[in-house]
Amino acid sequence: MSEPLILEARDLHKSYRMGAGRLPVLRGVSLQLRPGEVVALMGASGSGKSTLLHLLGLLDRPDQGRVLLDGADVTELGQSAAARLRAGAIGFVFQQFHLLADLNALQNVLMPRRIACGWSWWRRAGRERERARAILEAVGLAGRLRHRPAQLSGGEQQRVAIARALVSAPALLLADEPTGNLDSATGADILALLLRLARQRQAALLLATHDAHVAAHSDRVLQLVDGTIVGAAPGP
Amino acid sequence: MSLLHLAWTYFRRRALLTLSALGIALGVALVFTTLAVVNGFLSELERTLREFSGDVVVRPLEIGPLAAGRAEYMRALEAVDGLESATPRLNWFGLVGRRGARALSDPRSADLNGLLLVGVEPERERAAALHAELLAQPGSLILGDELAQRLGVAAGDALEVLSYRGSGRDLAPVRATFQVAGSFRTGQYEQDLDRAIVRREDLERFLGGRVPFTEIVLRGARDIAPEQLAARARMALAEAGIRGADVRTWRAQGGNLLAAVENQRGTLSVVFFAIVAVAAFQLLATLTLTVTEKRHDIGVLGALGAGPARVAGFFMVLCLVIGAAGTALGLALGLWLCRNLHVVELWIGGGERIFTPELYQFPEIPIAVDPGSVSVLVGATLAAALLFSCIPAWLAARLPIVRALHHA
Ligand SMILES: Nc1ncnc2c1ncn2[C@@H]1O[C@H](COP(=O)(O)OP(=O)(O)O)[C@@H](O)[C@H]1O
Ligand SMILES: [Mg+2]
Repeated sequence: MSEPLILEARDLHKSYRMGAGRLPVLRGVSLQLRPGEVVALMGASGSGKSTLLHLLGLLDRPDQGRVLLDGADVTELGQSAAARLRAGAIGFVFQQFHLLADLNALQNVLMPRRIACGWSWWRRAGRERERARAILEAVGLAGRLRHRPAQLSGGEQQRVAIARALVSAPALLLADEPTGNLDSATGADILALLLRLARQRQAALLLATHDAHVAAHSDRVLQLVDGTIVGAAPGP
Repeated sequence: MSLLHLAWTYFRRRALLTLSALGIALGVALVFTTLAVVNGFLSELERTLREFSGDVVVRPLEIGPLAAGRAEYMRALEAVDGLESATPRLNWFGLVGRRGARALSDPRSADLNGLLLVGVEPERERAAALHAELLAQPGSLILGDELAQRLGVAAGDALEVLSYRGSGRDLAPVRATFQVAGSFRTGQYEQDLDRAIVRREDLERFLGGRVPFTEIVLRGARDIAPEQLAARARMALAEAGIRGADVRTWRAQGGNLLAAVENQRGTLSVVFFAIVAVAAFQLLATLTLTVTEKRHDIGVLGALGAGPARVAGFFMVLCLVIGAAGTALGLALGLWLCRNLHVVELWIGGGERIFTPELYQFPEIPIAVDPGSVSVLVGATLAAALLFSCIPAWLAARLPIVRALHHA
């Protein structure tokens, strides 16, 4: 196990305030992700999968425990530093797509690049636009560049979201039930696309789902039950 | 700034934001137009004042056999660099009576009118409005048209003028009859009411030949400032060994009137800042609403790697976009208003003119766009917009990402 880890969680705790008391959701979650590895995170609805992904993706902070990205402890990072890491190293795919409704597909995919580049965007806009077009082509949306989310089907919207997650070539992809809002046929397509692109680009993928079918396509499966990881089935 | 595109898209697609820009545009247009009118009045005032007084007036403080004479003054002044013309004048006080009144034989009469006799050398005068060409005949006189109206005299009439010459014990009344050759109008009410122009040599003779001139009016070339011309004139006089001359710019001459208008402009600028502040304040309300409305988008931006500073910056850019669009539109509207002020005037007045030319001495509402004050207006509007964007920007920056994301 001397191999470097792209992501590591140590004993994560998270609870939400509910009225006077607190609702514990995660009670000591530890996990490890190697570069390029595809891992399924299984668990019933409400088991805390989203909560965990938010902590791992630095969108939220744990009450206790550590998050390590590429070997560095990032638990205590300030908001700006965490944001820089999200912009460069992490790609998100959400169940609700979370696209910007006012922008077309191409502009949605370019958004992480605009954020990451800052002022240098104006110099690089041309190249970035080419790159975004190529990725949209790779997700099968070459003919939908100028469509806004409202003009796209659910499956197409999720394809845009996948392209957006990949555009910065992150080493880590976090997908939170990416097929949860899609019919099963479309969901299967999207899942196949996500897995194919993650493997192609050698990005580690942590995929939260309650779809048992996913397990067959992943290297490992983690079960989240009662706020902890049980039965980490080793992959093939 | 790389999020400018998103700001622009919001601006285009949200009627609320477009309306907000319209609010700013109205404020800017209002201030722009008022500024242009105030500036117009000022520059029209300047034009009429300068028409008569030239750029610089040189006045010998002592007159008499020992003082430097007209020729010496002229020799010294004509060497001044950038001088276009130097015209000697002889100004003297006189009294005239209303037409038909026995004014001059009965000094108690209320029909007496004081006036300033301006003795000019017609061939040297440059002020077209003075109609100095009417003074070709010796003994002729032209009156300011307000004065002519008050006296009830017209071209062809004879006008008796009473004055005094000498000083101290030698003070003696003099009386002469001039031939009214016409009237002039500078547009400056006071000047048109209390001035009569005669030939300098006539006036000199009238006064007994002891005072050849009381002032020399200087006009500079186009590119020379009156202050500069005055400084050069002072130097030239000093070099020629002429002492005791008062050299003043037209601005110092017409000081009181100009100061009054300038003062009004100062008061107005307070009102202007209030208008700009109100326009910017409604932007604060709009943007705060936008932050609430766009919580989901703020969450998405955060997930994609935008830190608090970036999110705050985005809302300030959005504010600048609205402010800039509003300002640009306001300037365009203001320009249109200035071009079509006569139409707007009739429209507001319900078919009646609001502007009365008789009162203001200008036939039209004078308009002059001053680039300096327009830059201040634009700068102040954008600065106010930016200032008021701080609160919504801060509100947006402190939204927790996960909570914002769930606000779809
Ligand atoms: N912001 C929150 N405040 C209070 N409770 C929350 C909040 N977010 C999630 N929860 C609760 O935490 C539990 C885990 O939620 P979640 O992580 O979304 O589960 P999953 O993604 O596995 O369905 C649920 O019971 C949910 O109601
Ligand atoms: Mg969930």
